[in-house]
Amino acid sequence: MTPKADFIQPPRLAAWLVKLFASGEEESILGDLTEEYSDLALNSGLVFARHWYWRQAVKTIAHLSGNGFRGAPWSTAAAVIGGVVLHRFVSGLPDKILSAATDRYLAFWSTHFKAYVFLLNGMPIEHIIGSIFVGCVVALAAKGREMIATMTLALVFCTLIFAAMVWVATHRGVDVAWMLWSSADPIAIVVGGAIVRTQRLAATTRPSNS
Amino acid sequence: MSARDYLGEFEHIIVLALLRLEDRAYGVTVRQEIELRTQREVSIGAVYATLDRLESKGYVKSHFGDPTPERGGRSKRFFRVTAKGVAAVNRTRRALLSMTEGLDLIRSYS
Repeated sequence: MTPKADFIQPPRLAAWLVKLFASGEEESILGDLTEEYSDLALNSGLVFARHWYWRQAVKTIAHLSGNGFRGAPWSTAAAVIGGVVLHRFVSGLPDKILSAATDRYLAFWSTHFKAYVFLLNGMPIEHIIGSIFVGCVVALAAKGREMIATMTLALVFCTLIFAAMVWVATHRGVDVAWMLWSSADPIAIVVGGAIVRTQRLAATTRPSNS
Repeated sequence: MSARDYLGEFEHIIVLALLRLEDRAYGVTVRQEIELRTQREVSIGAVYATLDRLESKGYVKSHFGDPTPERGGRSKRFFRVTAKGVAAVNRTRRALLSMTEGLDLIRSYS
């Protein structure tokens, strides 16, 4: 029997997602998935193997999320509640800063009206940056469960946004642009969590200089 | 942890798979063994989530093997059942046998 010389690279996005959620077990889980994926790709074809890998990745993420939350429900819940409070504070901050700046430097803005309009138009972007910041803070607080905490926080916001959408749709009519824009907040929170998780993974896998 | 604790359904299946596989028990072989014998698709995440729970209860122990090229240079994590785990399997099995004793399952409920 000849030894296997190499492995076939599994779908990178699916592997990255599993890595984000597999806290401390990424080595063995990704190794197992890669081994089976290589075997399946050789014996059953690449398309079948890709479908299998994605199915496994989604189910694995669901199991790891559930397990991670059950493992430390109170600290995860505390991080999520802290995130809701922080988001409430951060989300109003750009408007307050702009209002304070325009009040204080009214003469400046009157001569640089275009810059004022630019800042005003950029307000939604500042909200997104604020949400990414909240996601980062929550992920930093929930060490080892970064993605579970930020996903839970995002789900809380999704529920609130959905309720708001239903209310707005029944009282004022459907505003598709507003609905789409509202869903950016939860995504930004998860992005913040993914940034912190990726940085922590890189720090743990970085070779030591010694 | 109480000495009267029983294994859950999937925990029971996992421990039995580890006992069958002996020193070849790691994620891939455990998953494949369960799929082969139960005809149900199992995710590697479910296997690891359960193995972690069993390890925290002291029913299984794990150690890492050497990195291998077919795994992208990653190590295998091998599992084995502890004496406490074997006792838990026997306790669960006895409870199940006791509960099914006298029931003619095939004739009465099929």
